[in-house]
Amino acid sequence: MQANLVNFIRVLRSHEMRVSPAETLDAFAVTAALGYADRDLLRDGLAMTLAKTAEEESIFLQCFERYFGHVPPDLSRTALPPAADRVMEAPDLEDDSATDPASTLRLAARDDAALRALLAKPVMRDLVTNDRTELSLAINRAAQSVGLRQIEVFTQKGQFTRRMLDALGEEHLRRAIIELERRDSPVLPLVQRYRDILREQVRDRVEREYLLQAAGKTRQFMDAILSQTRLNAIEHRYLHRVHDLVRKMARKLAARHSRRRRRVQRGQLDMARTLRGAMAHDGVLFNTCWRGVRRNRPQILALCDVSGSVAAYAKFLLLFLYSLQDVLPKVRSFAFSSHLGEVSRLFAENPVEKAIELAHRQYGGATDYGASLRDFATLAMRDIDRDTSVIILGDARNNRGDPRLDLLRDIHRRARRVIWLNPESRRAWGTGDSDMLRYQSACHFSAECNNLRQLERIVDQLLKSTG
Amino acid sequence: MHQQTLAQLASVERIEQGFESCGYICSRKIATAVFLAFQLRKPVLVEGPPGVGKTELANTTARLLDTPLIRLQCYEGLDEAKALYEWKYSKQLLYTQVLKEQLGDLLRGASGLAESVERLHRFGDIFYSEQFLEPRPLLKAMRQDGGAVLLIDEIDKSDYEFESLLLEILSDYQVSIPEIGTIKARTTPLVFLTSNNTRDISDALKRRCLHLYIPFPSAALEERIIRSRVPDVDGRLRRQLVAFVHGLRQLDLKKAPAISETIDWARSLLLLHADSLEEDMVRDTLNVLLKFEDDIESAGAQLRQLLGPSPPASGGR
Repeated sequence: MQANLVNFIRVLRSHEMRVSPAETLDAFAVTAALGYADRDLLRDGLAMTLAKTAEEESIFLQCFERYFGHVPPDLSRTALPPAADRVMEAPDLEDDSATDPASTLRLAARDDAALRALLAKPVMRDLVTNDRTELSLAINRAAQSVGLRQIEVFTQKGQFTRRMLDALGEEHLRRAIIELERRDSPVLPLVQRYRDILREQVRDRVEREYLLQAAGKTRQFMDAILSQTRLNAIEHRYLHRVHDLVRKMARKLAARHSRRRRRVQRGQLDMARTLRGAMAHDGVLFNTCWRGVRRNRPQILALCDVSGSVAAYAKFLLLFLYSLQDVLPKVRSFAFSSHLGEVSRLFAENPVEKAIELAHRQYGGATDYGASLRDFATLAMRDIDRDTSVIILGDARNNRGDPRLDLLRDIHRRARRVIWLNPESRRAWGTGDSDMLRYQSACHFSAECNNLRQLERIVDQLLKSTG
Repeated sequence: MHQQTLAQLASVERIEQGFESCGYICSRKIATAVFLAFQLRKPVLVEGPPGVGKTELANTTARLLDTPLIRLQCYEGLDEAKALYEWKYSKQLLYTQVLKEQLGDLLRGASGLAESVERLHRFGDIFYSEQFLEPRPLLKAMRQDGGAVLLIDEIDKSDYEFESLLLEILSDYQVSIPEIGTIKARTTPLVFLTSNNTRDISDALKRRCLHLYIPFPSAALEERIIRSRVPDVDGRLRRQLVAFVHGLRQLDLKKAPAISETIDWARSLLLLHADSLEEDMVRDTLNVLLKFEDDIESAGAQLRQLLGPSPPASGGR
């Protein structure tokens, strides 16, 4: 059971639940305190130690049902083949033993050595005696011996089923069936039926394991791949998955950095409060009170290029902006190509897909960085102060127009930080109509950013320095 | 804890019965949480919508175990001095004033500053001893003989820093005071933390707690609660009013009515001598259940539908 619980916790982890070793120990303590007899009690108890949010609890319940919820079916009912009546010598007999396929088989085995040998096999014995516990234990043993836990992709299902059946000794049944067929024995359908039940059970077991193990693993694998793929290469249908990833990332970043903002530094002596406090102590300045210095929360202004040349990236950059605005206070988003406009409200009011589409429609076109910077300056220049970070997401390909570097210099002077994230690789900066090298001179920080991992790293740095 | 407490918490069933005898009808899950909290010596983090009996759970546990309930209400800016301990500054000051003479005697004859300080040192930290310590709820709970139930209410309203402060207390049941040393709990208190989920609790804190989510109760459970709290309401009305409240919870409301509101409503109906739900009376008493004007309006508009499926409402007179 211990191994079982550990394995269950591994399954939970693969379903994106964070379970620490300490919690694993707690889970063991829970099982020790509650025992295994009452399944619902155990489920509630484990849920309390392992699941920490309502969301995790629903994952937990789902996994628990899949993992421990399997009740082996009653073999004596399912085992009764539809054609049983035909096999029975005396179908009208009320006697239970006669209608029971097990006794029929035993009867037939009396003068059939091959059948007798078959009935002596452990797996057949479990099937015939309808010993469900023993059978599921045997199946679990087989699962362990073939390493069913390793299952990762659905194509392995057949292979594992086969190997488990072999481990269970299904070949005896198969051979017996061939033999019985040859002799055209009346008990043939019975034995066939038992074989089918066994196969069904094993297939179920493999399926359950697949759902448990592979679903989580596949997702982890996907996430790892997606975060390393160049953003423009990610297919549109993964947009939602990426959105989840980005959201998770943004949330993580926000959680890590929101605490820094709250820190209050000790500032000047607050004379009035100190004196008032001292009255209780006969005017002795016993306790000194200090005026706190509360840091202004950093403001982030983000500009995103949505023109044709970066269309594939823009989708994800907008996605990122959208998520950032969702989790951080004081983020204003702007979209631009030939002109620029604020999309903060658009983002706040619409669901992500719609918002991105709208931003594209309103601001898409040929790029003109000069005009866009001018628009930005009229819209937001006076809001830029020393607590403001300006992030520009774009390829700096200006169609040989006036870059208006003077405006960016202005922004550079007023803002705490100007950060330029360029989806093109550094080598391409400054080639053709790229003004990146010139703009770079007016940025505190510029970086190549074309996959989610880079994005995360950069934003982390950014928040560290603004926090 | 003493024998009696041990017996009260011996099994999940015992706890369930015990709670029921104290007038707190709970689901099995809640009883399991209390059982585990006691067995594993872990605090319980109770979450759920307002008014489902989170605080009441701690109250009832204290009543059941016949131990004092020590309550700490959290708010923004709550700090060590309010939650853990504080030095009794005035007392310290008063004593130094009173003992001035004594000090003079003590220091008389000492040659030079060095010797005076040396003499003072001999008296150690008299002014920073337990006599001058003002225990606040957390320390009180640690020092309570025979155990206590500690309720840290609405932890989500406190600051992050305060959560970190709780970590030592909740995992080792001890408090470190620099001037005195570590004070360990004489008897491990049963700790309940409640949260209304206005912000996420830090992982470190969550990891140390059992996590109990109390949802709105099922109709059957809520009926039992009403029966226990407002025993004079007759069975049919009770069924009707619970069904009505459950209907209300399905609506898109700013604040869905909680158990406490259902109880209040049952009491109001009793006062009005109602023996079945009638539209007019429900409309007049809706403000007991719903606390926002918008909610009352939107529920009022759908009142007939909500009352609809129970025909005995009109035929019961």
